[in-house]
This record gives sequence, structure tokens and C-alpha cells, in this order.
Amino acid sequence: MDFLAFLVLLLIVVLVVGLPLMLRRTRVEMRSIEGYEVLSKAMERAVEAGERVHMSLGVGTLMGAESATALAGISTFSKVAEATAIGDKPPVMTAGDGVLTLLAADNLRSAYARAGYSHRYETSSARMLGPTPLSYVGALPSVLGGEHVSLHILSGSFGAEAGLAADMGERAGATVIAGTEDVRAQALFYATADYPLLGEEVFAGGAYLGLRGTHRASLIAQDVLRLLIILVVIVGSFLGLVGSLL
Amino acid sequence: MKISLSLLWTAFAIVIGFIVLLGYFVELPAVETLGQLLMRWAVLLAAVALLLGLWNLLLVHGRKLSQLEEGWPFSAVLALMLVVTFALSTFFGPDNQTAMYIFEHVQVPVEASLMALLAVSLVVAGFRVVARRGDVFSLLFVGTALIVLLGSGPWPLGGESFAQEAVQWIRNELVQVWAVGGARAILIGVTLGAITTGLRVLLGADRPYGE
Repeated sequence: MDFLAFLVLLLIVVLVVGLPLMLRRTRVEMRSIEGYEVLSKAMERAVEAGERVHMSLGVGTLMGAESATALAGISTFSKVAEATAIGDKPPVMTAGDGVLTLLAADNLRSAYARAGYSHRYETSSARMLGPTPLSYVGALPSVLGGEHVSLHILSGSFGAEAGLAADMGERAGATVIAGTEDVRAQALFYATADYPLLGEEVFAGGAYLGLRGTHRASLIAQDVLRLLIILVVIVGSFLGLVGSLL
Repeated sequence: MKISLSLLWTAFAIVIGFIVLLGYFVELPAVETLGQLLMRWAVLLAAVALLLGLWNLLLVHGRKLSQLEEGWPFSAVLALMLVVTFALSTFFGPDNQTAMYIFEHVQVPVEASLMALLAVSLVVAGFRVVARRGDVFSLLFVGTALIVLLGSGPWPLGGESFAQEAVQWIRNELVQVWAVGGARAILIGVTLGAITTGLRVLLGADRPYGE
């Protein structure tokens, strides 16, 4: 049994479960992330102007290491769908994977039901554009150009095609907010998206869009663990230096 | 009734998730076998979901075609090719000559062209990022990209000069020290984010399988 990994996991579980209870009456200030601040305003603008919101869950699958990004994307998408359900044009979600498309369709239906607009749900609002990364990106202009999209959110797994996916949104005149787990794709988003989400910011959508207390708790848990890791790295490097000098 | 069904799905997802997770920490043959069996089922379900995704793709483009929406000729080509390649691969195997011909002479060149387009898009985006943000970080980003590009390839003039060696040295420092350090820091953040996201699903706080 891998005790260290188990202990780390246990610590995260304790933090994620315990922090919402401890912080029930404490106001937690979260640092400003420009992408999420713009997202709320852009959603309102899209609804008022009768324009469409497009959200991409990327080209990854739910089976691989990139599944967490897709799950975070679905949680953000669920909130976006709920907020824009009232608009003239329903939000569109696209993915490059069948499982993600089904999950998004189900979440979209639930979001419409929560908002009280079940009758407005359309099955074609969740689409699989193409099963390979480049076939997915190749099909994006048909959604962005032909369906009056004013907000293009990319929250999922992307590779080198990330640059094209964001650039197509920019060319269609949409506000582009993009985040992913891949470091190279993040660099591409930095160059091509209006508001890139860097590092773990892509996982923070739920907390910033006002979901449950566990989302805020998981952000704090991440910060606590990051501090611990930084401490371990600094102490380890110092001990290594001292050891090499002695 | 709806609430109890939702609770049932959540409980089901939590139990399945914990069995698979347990397989990574505990060396019990029964748990490992059960975890592997569940993973195999998941792979099968993912394959079925891919078929449903393709059906969804066909339906969306079929609707565009029937209503003659903007760009319907592209939808017609896509639907036709999807049916043809699907039928060919199903009846004659995925590596039959015609399917391979279509793959090598249509899909590969189109995807290669898109990758070439990416290079052009990135150069334009590099200039745009400076114009749009105009801050120190965007200048640093574009400057670093230029130095790495200059240090990575041969120069038409001034090859093996002091300037080229200096640029190559800076490029190596940037790529092997600064970029690696930065990437590791980002990866630690991403990993922590991924763990907490996965745990939220396991604890039933996030329900991506609907409510």
C-alpha cells in the first residue's frame, strides 16, 4: 500500500470536506481572475443581445488523465447553461468525445430544468464535432461563424490545436476565454485567447461562478497543499545544498 | 421520486469510484480484479458513446441539410463521407484499401494543412497579443518566443558567429532551466486542481452525470 499517496489523498479529503463546515460563517476572499470576471458580464451581454454562448469541452476523453479538466469544464458549463437558458439563442456545447457529449447534453437538460425552461431544451445543443483533435477544430467555424456566437469558452483538454480553436473564436468576433491542463496549450491560449486561464485556474470555474461551498473549499485545499509543497521543495533544496557542502 | 433517483445515481457513482480508487492503494486481488472489470466496462460504454456521438453529428448536419441552413453543402459532404467511411470500415475492416486511401489522401493532407495554418495563426497572434495587451508580460512572451525560434534553427547569415552562439546559449537557458521550472510549477497547480476536482465527483459534490 502506498501510504504517502494515501495520506496526501486523505489530507485533501479532510480539507475539502472539513473546510466548508469550518468556514460557514467566514467570508473567504478569492483573488480576482479576469477570465471569470469577464465571463459573468459576457454571459449577461449575450443574453441581452440575443447572441449565443459556445462552450468547448475540448478534444480529450473522460477515460484518460485529462478527465479532470473535462469534469471541471462540465461543472462550469452547467452554470453557464443555467445563466443563459433565458436567452433567445440556447447555448451550444461541443466536444470531441462521445461520452463528454452525452454528459454535456444531460447537464444542459438539468440546467434548463433548474432554470425553469425545460421546454426550451434542444438535443442539438450538445454536439460532437469530430472524433480527432483536428477534425474537431476543423468543424468549429461552422458553429462559431454560422450561429452568431459572441462568447467562446474553451474549458477542456487541448493539444497543439488549441491555438486554432481560440483563434477561430477571435476571428468570429467572439470574446474568447480559454483554459486547459496542458502546459503547451496554455502557452498557445496565452497568445490567441482574450482571457487565458493559466495553471489551475481552469479548475476554479465552479467556485468563481458561485457553486457549492466545496468548490471554494477545494480552492483553499489546493492553496494549502501548494504551500506545503513549496515548503518541502525549499527545505529539501536547502538540505541538499548543506549535504553537498559538508 | 426524482430526488431519490438522483441520490441513487450519486451513491452508485461514489461506490464505483471508490472501488476503482481503492485498487490503486490496496493490493487485494478481489479489489484489483473488480476495478479492472469496471474499467473494461467503462471502455465498452465509451465505445458505445462514440457511436452515439457520431449519430449526434449525423443528426445535426442532417438537420442543416434538410433546412438548407448556411453552409449546407459542407454538411452534405460531411454526412456523405461519414456514411461511406463508416460503411467501408464496418463491412471490410478499418484497414481495407479504400478506407486507407481515403484516410491517407483526404484526412492526412487536410489535418497537415490545418497544422500549417496553426504556424501562421501563431505568428499573427504573437503580434496581436502585444497590440491587445501591451503589458510587460506580453512583450516578454513574444521576446522569449523570438529568441527560442532564433536559437533553434540555422541562420542564413552569420552562422557560427558569436551572436549565434550567444542566442543559442540564451535559448538553452530559457528552454532547459526557466521553462522547465515554470512548467513544473504550473503542473503542480494543475495536478492539485485535478485531484480536488476528481474528489468532488467522488464525494458527490459535483454530479457531472446529471441530477
